[in-house]
Amino acid sequence: MSEVILENVTKNYGKVQGISDISVEIKPGLTGILGPNGAGKSTMMKIILGLSRPSIGRVSVMGNNPFTSWEQRCKIGFVPEYDCFYEHMSGLDYVSYFLQMHNNSLEKSNEMAKKSLSELGLEEAMDRKIRTYSRGMRQKTKIARASVFNPDIYVLDEPFQGADPTTRHLLMMKMKEWASEGKTIMISSHILHDIENLTDQIILINNGRMLASGNRHEIRNLMNNIPRQVHVTPIDNKNLRKLAKRMMDESWVRATRIDNDELIIETDSSETFYLELPRIVKKEKIKIKNINSKDDSLDSLYTKLVGGAQWK
Amino acid sequence: MEIKDILNRSTNLGRPIIKDAILRLLMNKLTWILILILLLPPILGLWAYTNEQDERQVQELNGDKIYYYDTNAESDLIGSPIHENVRETFIEISNVFLIKFIGVLMAIMFASELINEEFNKKTIQILRTTPIRPLEIILYRYIAGVVCMFSILAVTSLIYYVVTMMNAGLYGIKEEWDVLFLVIKLLLLESIAYIGIFILISVHFDRPFFLGIIYWMLWEMIVSGGNYQQITVSHYLNSILFKGLENMNWDVITEDFGLIKSAGNETIDLVTEPFTAAMIIAILALVTIGISARGIERRQF
Repeated sequence: MSEVILENVTKNYGKVQGISDISVEIKPGLTGILGPNGAGKSTMMKIILGLSRPSIGRVSVMGNNPFTSWEQRCKIGFVPEYDCFYEHMSGLDYVSYFLQMHNNSLEKSNEMAKKSLSELGLEEAMDRKIRTYSRGMRQKTKIARASVFNPDIYVLDEPFQGADPTTRHLLMMKMKEWASEGKTIMISSHILHDIENLTDQIILINNGRMLASGNRHEIRNLMNNIPRQVHVTPIDNKNLRKLAKRMMDESWVRATRIDNDELIIETDSSETFYLELPRIVKKEKIKIKNINSKDDSLDSLYTKLVGGAQWK
Repeated sequence: MEIKDILNRSTNLGRPIIKDAILRLLMNKLTWILILILLLPPILGLWAYTNEQDERQVQELNGDKIYYYDTNAESDLIGSPIHENVRETFIEISNVFLIKFIGVLMAIMFASELINEEFNKKTIQILRTTPIRPLEIILYRYIAGVVCMFSILAVTSLIYYVVTMMNAGLYGIKEEWDVLFLVIKLLLLESIAYIGIFILISVHFDRPFFLGIIYWMLWEMIVSGGNYQQITVSHYLNSILFKGLENMNWDVITEDFGLIKSAGNETIDLVTEPFTAAMIIAILALVTIGISARGIERRQF
């Protein structure tokens, strides 16, 4: 069952459009929300959190309207992109304060906050004022606050921001752990590599519009009309020219280029390419050592979707 | 149902919010600037006390020392009990400086710190993602604001009272307690009314400090002296002060408190009974809390 459903959601800020006609269902597990600055990722997250109300369309979080349903807010953990601290508090007081907002006693809140902060490596610093914290420590404190009450849904806006590699690794482990427990986790990040390491499930947004959603490999396959580069390495270098010439005979090959010991083939139809290539090399008696397409990476996909001419 | 829930949750939610809000108000530099300004009159009062000590004579009555003005004082004061004169000074300085000036400024500042700062620091967005109700967000901050403002002003008024009445001796201080209690009552009602109004402004507008000052200048200062003064808080505070002094057998007239309205060539007294005035202020506070909570509930980020 989908925990979060957006149906034709549009959000306008006066004449400015935040997001436009977004329909998506987010199921338990990790989902990456990708898009450049100002794409509408934060607006989408705010609507899911009930901080903002859609101008048009319907949003449902665990079957309820997030803007009006107060009770379900104890099931959602939110890590914002921005700082949102009471700087005069210690990390422990801060996490404990928000636990008390969930109607927990002071003693229980302190105990839970200590455990959560310790797990994130802040046991030494938890009694220090937040104003003395580094960016990484602030990020961990935000995550401790959002996760300490064991929510069912996590909304994480740029959670790796300011985190050092160790913290980044720790946070990724945590997120994978939450996902394995059946939680719904939405992560927005500019660092595509982070998302790529975490999940294949992505939502791509640009200019307030959803460009694609689903498994990144499936999305890539759907984009057959987008030129795609495949690197083919024959065992014998002498066959490079022969293969290049042969491939140019096919209508679905746009261009070929030899680069060192590999042949770079640009194709309009990846599906046809992968079906036909084995037949061609068998007929030409060319043995292949390696086939690799860098276009399967999220980075490439993101660039193509967001910056590609076909989207202009 | 919601009120019952709020009451059940008040132990866990109310205490940390009120404690933190009071701490924030006390740590604010502007609070200490206002406290310093508040302490200027008593410092001047101490200076006056040392200068006027030789203008009095003492008479003992049943073991109490009663101080009177001697021949060195102004002619119309000679022979009169000191406390009967300085109590007027206390009322004037409390009414004009403490209640109508610093009190209002403090309420604007406190409401802005309690609400607008949460918007600026975006902590309100985090609060809105927790199960805390908008009414709880407002109510506990309101309580913290009232407690803090009233405590500071009440202690200051006590200092003013002691410093002003010092020349009248212990007898004079004890004799005029009622005047001090009247001022403290006014300060409590003022805190209850203005914190509510300025929280309402802070919830709905982005520049609460500026709008608070505008409200104070246009509404409380100009309208309160006119025919429609019953729509201002000042009218009810003035009424309670006027009636309180009248009940203490002071020689007071409505014109001195602006409690009149013109009807043609005549003027009519416009005094509200103290109980009614206090009830109107309490209702006003409840309404402002309710509308502010509604504002938080409907606010989009």
